[in-house]
Amino acid sequence: MSEPHPPPYAPPHPPPYDRPVDRPVDPDDGWTRLDKRMLVIGPVRVLGQFAFPLLLGFIGIGTQMGPWALLFVPIAVVAACVLGAIPWLTTYYRQTATHFEVRRGLLNRTNQTAPLDRVRSVDQTASLLHRVLGVTKVEIGTGVDDSRITLDVVTAPEAHRLQVALLPRTAEGAGPAPTPAVGGGEAAADASPYPPEAVPGAPVGVPGPGAEQVLATLRWSWLRFAPLSLARLAIVAGAFGAGSQFFDDLPIFDTEHASALWDWLGRQFLPLLLLVVAVVLLVLWLVISLTGYVVQWAGFRLVREPGGRRPGDTSLHLRAGLLTTRSVTVEERRVRGVELVEPALMRFADGAELSTLATGVENGTTKVLPSCPLDVAVAVGHDVLGPDAAAAAPLTTPLVQHGPGARRRAHVRWQWSTLIFGTAALAALLVDGTPGWAPVPVVVFFAVLGVAGAESSYRNLGHALTTLDGRPRHLVAGSGAFARTRTVLEAEGVIGWVVEQSFFQRRTGLADLVATTAAGGESVRVRDVDLGVGLRLADAATPGLLTPFRAAPARAT
Amino acid sequence: MSTPTSPPRQDPPADPTPVALRLPAHQVSPRARGYWRLTAALATSLPVIGLAVAWVLWGERPWWFTLLLVASVVVLLVEVVVMPPLRYRIHRWEVTGDAVHTRSGWLSIDERVAPLSRVQTVDSSQGPIQRMFRLRSLTVTTASAAGPISIECLDEQLARELVADLTAITSATRDDAT
Repeated sequence: MSEPHPPPYAPPHPPPYDRPVDRPVDPDDGWTRLDKRMLVIGPVRVLGQFAFPLLLGFIGIGTQMGPWALLFVPIAVVAACVLGAIPWLTTYYRQTATHFEVRRGLLNRTNQTAPLDRVRSVDQTASLLHRVLGVTKVEIGTGVDDSRITLDVVTAPEAHRLQVALLPRTAEGAGPAPTPAVGGGEAAADASPYPPEAVPGAPVGVPGPGAEQVLATLRWSWLRFAPLSLARLAIVAGAFGAGSQFFDDLPIFDTEHASALWDWLGRQFLPLLLLVVAVVLLVLWLVISLTGYVVQWAGFRLVREPGGRRPGDTSLHLRAGLLTTRSVTVEERRVRGVELVEPALMRFADGAELSTLATGVENGTTKVLPSCPLDVAVAVGHDVLGPDAAAAAPLTTPLVQHGPGARRRAHVRWQWSTLIFGTAALAALLVDGTPGWAPVPVVVFFAVLGVAGAESSYRNLGHALTTLDGRPRHLVAGSGAFARTRTVLEAEGVIGWVVEQSFFQRRTGLADLVATTAAGGESVRVRDVDLGVGLRLADAATPGLLTPFRAAPARAT
Repeated sequence: MSTPTSPPRQDPPADPTPVALRLPAHQVSPRARGYWRLTAALATSLPVIGLAVAWVLWGERPWWFTLLLVASVVVLLVEVVVMPPLRYRIHRWEVTGDAVHTRSGWLSIDERVAPLSRVQTVDSSQGPIQRMFRLRSLTVTTASAAGPISIECLDEQLARELVADLTAITSATRDDAT
């Protein structure tokens, strides 16, 4: 789509589409450019994107041309500046009475339009570079999947103006009057580039006009959970894997040096060596995990503030990050549930993580708490679910277990890996030189792992339905193997049911009951539940929906 | 696999207040059997033919290759002979004043229920082979990506009428539907 002509429809004002891009935009049209600092961020970003291929290119050219290769450095920089300036030259945005519009692109002209009443979130992200320059990135979500409108570089006051204008706060009107934060005793407020406009520690309870209610702020004691988060370990391992390719090229990391080093080390005391390696790895892990936690969550603050389309609406507002600060807003009216995860190791230290399941937000699962103590996560979860949720206590209510059939199925599912790896080990016997006992440890390892995993996943499996005043409130589903997950979905958020029975489930009378929803992951699965129990749960959660399809109660086998 | 004479649903075990769903009222078009038979034959016969050609050309074939060919022929027979009537018996649908209920599958069985008040779109589609059999599929979507309900292989005419009915019902209730 690279036609340079104006689009076929005719807007009321003469559109600036066919205007030379270097001429100043007529402010009467309301079109605004991004901030000039985009001219710094754009080239830096282009250089960043192409850093790796450029580096390889320089090395390649350098080996052939020697120092002359340095001539290419200014060329690359100029090219980056030109390429990086294009977004600033070609991006305009404006707000009309009904729409927010962005147009961008030099060859591929795109024009994004969001009806104002569809704007559901205005989020700010500021990378370190953004913060040094005093600007921020604004992302406008319209609830349609994958179509966030991104304004790369706008000034902080402009970002605030957009936030206020696009998400009108019914309580304080459209007056963009940011009052500076007072004190803010937490380390929380310090790391935030654009402090909240209300006083931290505002009266707790129903937020009044302009007030915000602090739901959670970072406690430094929560750092103890950082080393227990294995998700970060996976990321670090991946980074090491990628980085190791670099080391191969360095002269001191070749095999000759390595084996010489190894021989020398081998002459030393081996157990001591292993101990030292273990300690070094452990310390390294501690440093990496703690740093990662601090970088991601420093200044974390979760507040409830008035704001939304209707009077009395509130939004959850999350702000965190040491270098890149993120600012995420979730309209509470759209929150249909929460998900509480107790990851494998963190469980033993009573740690947990919490996400909200909301509708109309891209990727409707939003992590609203860092790794934190379970009771904090539970309290915030109940708070987010609404004023009456604490009474129903969906996050602490005991779950109904699914019985021996479900346990058997868990064991069968977990022993597949034993079968596969056991077969592979047996096949390895065909290769000469493999000792005959080789399959035994493999099978034992996977069998034991399978038993542990199955038992653990069976213990985590379960369901519950909370009721208040005889009305169903929350559907609760427990899942997870080594991590324990509890998904809570408000009964009103259920927009349909699926009963899935595989061939083997039909033989044992079990079924997967899936509540479909527009929130979060779009479905909540109650796995391997007895069919009758599952249908009763569904019937109780959505009274009346299944009634026309109910069978007569007495049916002989 | 359930034998043809057994009831299609297992009854729940003893339970204080048993809840069971009855079968949806309607079956799909009987021509669906022919459609499923043809599409299954088309899809499954390709690998069978490939294997058979290889079996003939490969002079000293190992024993497991013969086994593979036999197994693929068995799969083809099951898909063509056993699956269509079984699937025809299992596929059922019903639309009441306020909900859609469908049942589909043959080895695994899915049952889906969605209230019409949450329905967002009503689509129908017809592939070239379906057109040969004068069949049409209907899909009802809700705001959940996990929740589209399709009724496969309805009679063409019936599908059109059903789309019109459903559209009329759902357009009467216009809310966010989330």
